[in-house]
Amino acid sequence: MKPTWLLEVKNLVKEFGGVVATADISLELEAGSIVGLIGPNGAGKTTLFNCIAGYYKPTTGKVFFNGKDITDWPAHRVAKMGIARTFQTMKIMPNLTVEENVMIGAFSRTGNRQIARGEAQEILELVGLVREAKVYPTELPIATQKRIELARALATKPKLLMLDEIASGLNPLETKETIQALQRIKEERNLTLFLTEHVMEFIMTISERVIVMAAGRKIAEGTPEEVAREDKVIEAYLGKRYAKGK
Amino acid sequence: MELATQLITSGILMGFVFALIALGLSLIFGVMNIVNFAHGEFLMVGMYVALLVSSYLPLDPLASLPFAAVIGFLLGIISYHFLIHHILRGPMIAQLFGTFGLMLFIRYLVMFIFGPDVRSLPHGILVGKTLSVGWVMLDASKVMAAGFCLLLFALVYWIINRTKLGRALRATSLDAEAARYMGIDTKKMNALAWGIGGATVGIAGALLAHFYYITPTIGMVFVLIAFATVALGGFGSISGAFLAGVIIGLIQAVGGQYLSELKLTFVYAAYFLTVVFRPRGLFGW
Amino acid sequence: MVQVLKDIFSFGDRPLSERIGFVIFIAIVLAFPWFVELAYARAVMIRFLLFALFGLGWNLIGGYGGQVDLGQAKNVGFGAFTTALMTVWWKTPFWLTVPVGMVVATAESFVVAYPMFRLRGHYFAIATLCVALVWKELFTFWDWTGGARGVEIPLKAGADFAYMQFPSPIYYHYFIFFLFITQFLYMNWFRKSKLGYELQAVRDNEEAAASLGINVTVTKVKAYCITAALGAVGGSFMVAYYLYIDPHMVMHIDLSILIAMTVMVGGAGSIWGPIIGAAILIPLDMYLGAWLGGMGLYGIDFMIYAFIIMIIAAREPKGIWGIVERIRKRG
Repeated sequence: MKPTWLLEVKNLVKEFGGVVATADISLELEAGSIVGLIGPNGAGKTTLFNCIAGYYKPTTGKVFFNGKDITDWPAHRVAKMGIARTFQTMKIMPNLTVEENVMIGAFSRTGNRQIARGEAQEILELVGLVREAKVYPTELPIATQKRIELARALATKPKLLMLDEIASGLNPLETKETIQALQRIKEERNLTLFLTEHVMEFIMTISERVIVMAAGRKIAEGTPEEVAREDKVIEAYLGKRYAKGK
Repeated sequence: MELATQLITSGILMGFVFALIALGLSLIFGVMNIVNFAHGEFLMVGMYVALLVSSYLPLDPLASLPFAAVIGFLLGIISYHFLIHHILRGPMIAQLFGTFGLMLFIRYLVMFIFGPDVRSLPHGILVGKTLSVGWVMLDASKVMAAGFCLLLFALVYWIINRTKLGRALRATSLDAEAARYMGIDTKKMNALAWGIGGATVGIAGALLAHFYYITPTIGMVFVLIAFATVALGGFGSISGAFLAGVIIGLIQAVGGQYLSELKLTFVYAAYFLTVVFRPRGLFGW
Repeated sequence: MVQVLKDIFSFGDRPLSERIGFVIFIAIVLAFPWFVELAYARAVMIRFLLFALFGLGWNLIGGYGGQVDLGQAKNVGFGAFTTALMTVWWKTPFWLTVPVGMVVATAESFVVAYPMFRLRGHYFAIATLCVALVWKELFTFWDWTGGARGVEIPLKAGADFAYMQFPSPIYYHYFIFFLFITQFLYMNWFRKSKLGYELQAVRDNEEAAASLGINVTVTKVKAYCITAALGAVGGSFMVAYYLYIDPHMVMHIDLSILIAMTVMVGGAGSIWGPIIGAAILIPLDMYLGAWLGGMGLYGIDFMIYAFIIMIIAAREPKGIWGIVERIRKRG
């Protein structure tokens, strides 16, 4: 019997008043995999994320999660279904402490504050933010704030975690630590990771499979090595001259 | 038939006045995205200027128009410089209650100086006179007010759309940062928007004083009508403010005929429906 | 169950200095009528507690929710008119009218909330203003609610606990204090509840809140309806205390603005904000304002208040409590 994909996107098109942001994208994610999404700026990666996560309604096409059609579902319903995401621009809650930020995520699965706090404590330990629990996020550096967003997303006990440029702005050491932390978290929490990224060392190292987008379309798919060698991919990033040269 | 013409004419005339009142609000919103709750108080100040001029100078209240314009302009610029400029960078909530504070301050300052009593203009060429055009009887002061408002509206419209200064203002409304990069002094543009807003609504106040009662608390009534007008026309759209002003004028004229105690209610209800079902209004962004 | 009680009464997350300060405040308020016999001072204290009560309710949607509602007076009016009319028409005892008033306010709020929450920021604020205005005009226009003349409550002799009418302000003082402390403890529980946290998340960042499973609109609607119910209670009190209400008194836009401003000056989103705000406004209005008004000088009290508002807007949007916390952090 064919295994059901965790996430299936079928012929997704998203238009904004005549401008086509994503055109006919299809992809499948297997449960337990780590898949990266790369592509030059404006390729439509974040639009794709937003369509899957329920922030945009696709113009046409379908999104299936665990076999269920979630195409037109609003963001909060998608989250409750088990898809969590982080954001490219910081969306920290500045008037809540780090712990409270993470508790918000936990509250999606419980109505009890004690339980939510317990969950939050557990996650804070997992990402290494226990000392910062009672601090307000605006007092912390951006790299730490990214971890808070990650912790918050994890607290919703997702099956699929979508990370939008989580490695941007990190130095090589932090990037390596993030990769290790994510791999550990993925194993411990039995997650599937879908990441989009510009930092190549990060995404090519962590991903088992990579999907490449350009100008709203999928142009390549495969292991990181396969994809890095494809002419189309090089062309998308560096232009025709370099692709031919390779 | 006669009633209909009467209502429509009087509605359109008041509409021109509302349009001018709304103009300043729309301009300020367009240029710096702030809703000026104190707008009605600037109008009220214009009314008191007319009162002062006609009471203490041997002049007809019509002569108070330039005074009202200057004082309104200064009030706008001073408000910008001392308060608005500092709250522009803050959260929206702070902007909201900043202009509220300004509103209360001006209102109670006037109340302190003039007392809370209701007043009216002591005399005037056009106060209390009626005109008949065909079978329509019109308040002479309303006709004059409407005429001036129309003229002024056209003047400001011309300034905004046909002069270099107006172009700078429009550029700032569209994209303040880009305007700055092009060498436009956005701070001056902001102040100017407040100045023009204050001047136009000050003149409107001086005109209104000819046929409306003058009291420190009258500002609230008109700022709400102004909001309704700006919302209907579209926040930021000058031509929208004109069309919407006329529509609101007609609504309150017709509504006032059938249920005069509720005529403002119709305006507020119109505002609510607009803002909920078509937030962009007729022409706005 | 024990946890709920603990949540209501515990202020464990606030520093000791605040807890002690609060206890002192409560002690002063409770002892007040026994030490102060001046009728005017007692009236000021009652009005202070009433506005603190109004502020507590508004703080839910305005402070913890971050939605600036400029129409709370309509809810005060719903509570007031429900109590007044039920008393006059059906001789209903006071405490039975209160929940009915709350239901009326909640029901109306539920209906208008969905269309209104399609709006954000100042558009939302102005819409709330409009709705409240329309209601005030309607209540002034309608004959069955007494129109502009309002409703007068028949006087009862002696202390009447069924209608909450009393010969001495001491009773009213404890009456309003009871209402105040009830809503205060409710807010203490609310801010730690799931809805309380989710509301704050929505206030701070709607998109992020949605990504965490929070239905933003439903959360806002719930908060708006609860605030309405809380506001109605204050309206009911006004009937028992003033023995007369009319639309101008209980549904006026100035009341809405005052309630909102008071909380924002004190510190919206903090549990102490409404108390601080009322503590500044009421004495300012009733002492300075009344004294100067007696001399024919009107408006200075509100000029001062407006000045405070403008300074707070420009320097510390989190209000006076925000200033306190900023100082605390630095020191």
